Amino acid sequence: MKFGIFYEISVPRPWGPTTEYEVYQNCLEQVRLADELGFDQVWAVEHHFLEEYSHCSAPEIFLTACAMITKNIRIGRGIVVCVPQFNNPIKAAEVAATMDLVSGGRLEFGTGRSATWTELGGFGADPDETKKTWDEWTRIIPKMWTQERFGYEGRAFSMPQRTILPKPLQKPHPPMWVAVTSPGTELDAADRGMGSLGLTFGGFREQEKKIAEYRRRIKYCDPVGSFVNEQVNTVNFLMCHEDNTYGGKTGQRLAGTFNYMAEQLLAARQAYPTRSYPNLGLLPALRREATSAPENQLPEGLAIGNPDRITEVIRNWESVGVDRINFLLNAAETVPQAEVLASMRLFAKEVMPKFADKKQPVAAGTAAGGA
Amino acid sequence: MPLVGTRPVTALEGGPLVTDLQSERLELPGCGILQIMYEIDAEGVQALIPPALHPTVPATVVFTVWNVPESPAGAFVVAEAKIGCRSGARPRGLLVRGFCSSAEGTAFLSSKWGYPVTQANVSLTKRYDRIRGVAESGGNTLLDITLLNPEPIAGNDIQYLANLNVARLDREGATVARLIQSDPDYVFRSADRGKPEMSVFDADAFGLGGAHAYFPVSASYAVADINMPEVRYLVDPSKSPLASVERL
Repeated sequence: MKFGIFYEISVPRPWGPTTEYEVYQNCLEQVRLADELGFDQVWAVEHHFLEEYSHCSAPEIFLTACAMITKNIRIGRGIVVCVPQFNNPIKAAEVAATMDLVSGGRLEFGTGRSATWTELGGFGADPDETKKTWDEWTRIIPKMWTQERFGYEGRAFSMPQRTILPKPLQKPHPPMWVAVTSPGTELDAADRGMGSLGLTFGGFREQEKKIAEYRRRIKYCDPVGSFVNEQVNTVNFLMCHEDNTYGGKTGQRLAGTFNYMAEQLLAARQAYPTRSYPNLGLLPALRREATSAPENQLPEGLAIGNPDRITEVIRNWESVGVDRINFLLNAAETVPQAEVLASMRLFAKEVMPKFADKKQPVAAGTAAGGA
Repeated sequence: MPLVGTRPVTALEGGPLVTDLQSERLELPGCGILQIMYEIDAEGVQALIPPALHPTVPATVVFTVWNVPESPAGAFVVAEAKIGCRSGARPRGLLVRGFCSSAEGTAFLSSKWGYPVTQANVSLTKRYDRIRGVAESGGNTLLDITLLNPEPIAGNDIQYLANLNVARLDREGATVARLIQSDPDYVFRSADRGKPEMSVFDADAFGLGGAHAYFPVSASYAVADINMPEVRYLVDPSKSPLASVERL
């Protein structure tokens, strides 16, 4: 089991002249500490226009800053929006390769397609097209990294032969992931030999079934990259405190705040009737998770409370097949920075050692799986 | 925390007085529902909703014209313009004022679910190349919306917002403003989507003065059996979002 941290970078109103600066500095301080404490990875989202919920529209810059102040922690681009109105596949490949070079080969490359009308409408993207362009990009970007010259004639993207530079340090290329917010996307990941970057929670039983099916399907995959990245990565909240009640309450406040802000956004499906977005994605799953526990009990899957409780929660995640857990440490600065840092330290001291050395860090090209 | 409305509750005291809230579900078979969403200027949206609600990001208005061929009140057609909002974390559409084509339909909707509708000429016309909804009163067009070039989709691809209807209730001898939640279920018979077009929107007529609908988002049309709900939730518009919901 590997542990990471995960950033939406939520910035609460009122927005003073330095509010965003302060939040970004808090995040960087957490990343520096995470590296010192032995966390394995830091992920940052790409979101646009999502007031308060996420002010992380240039994650490649933030993650490069993270790489520059750390030594070992892997940096997760989570995710590149594979929609032409948002990004360009050539630029995505170039930027990722540069991040891999400057970080010393620490890049994890996540892919996805955005799930809100707030973003899709803002960029003028067609919701019917996003799954198709994502599919196309995930097949061509690894070739841009590995082929000396690359040319392509496709449905939504074409280019004459050019040498796309630079090339990543990791050979053959960084591990590739798919953001999984809609049920069934984990199967898309499996069929393409990509890691499942789960952004939803859900109970252990529900996840166990999904993970088992992911592992079954990936054995027969047609990998889009040069190797199969068979790994299941999930997101959770972290609030670790000696006092289980205090840690639990603070953690629930953190989860509730995150959920509440997420619900203010306009999901693609709420605005635009399309089969391309068959459900509301992240939002209802978050609400269910944050409100799933009976009164006076903590939601079963959340890593909140004292070290013993969190250890038990993670053992359960491990038993259903999760390889990595990334933690959201704060939402809208609802938890004071000193408490966030203390929570990380206590987790690293009391919980992380219990899961150490069961697996070595997975480097590019060495992950298990079919094909 | 997210932005909240600033509209004075005194500006929401013109809704119908409801003395007999609907207490059981009621099916309205074979209804046609034209729904068109536009984005509106975010600048003024807080002034359109009360302190109990959050505006969506981005700010939206949802136009709905629905025709009911068969009901205890006979046939009628309704025109609504609702502000997209959140009651706490839940998606809702605030209906301040709407229009209904018959006196019986007006009384039926307002007396049971608090729909703040008044009588006007409302029509819903279906052609193969377009579906059009129009509301007119006193020789003025209040709303004119069209779905162009319909193409079939699955009914379940359409999302409808639950209404929060601006109404009044009797509480211990006093009349108080309340938002009455109406969240029907839909059993779809057919559904289409197409290009949205809004040629007339008299925001003042719908109690949404200042709302500028400027960016078309989507258009759908469905034929569905509408299961009108029993009223289960009210919202006190004067309270904060987390303290405003009253369960009956």
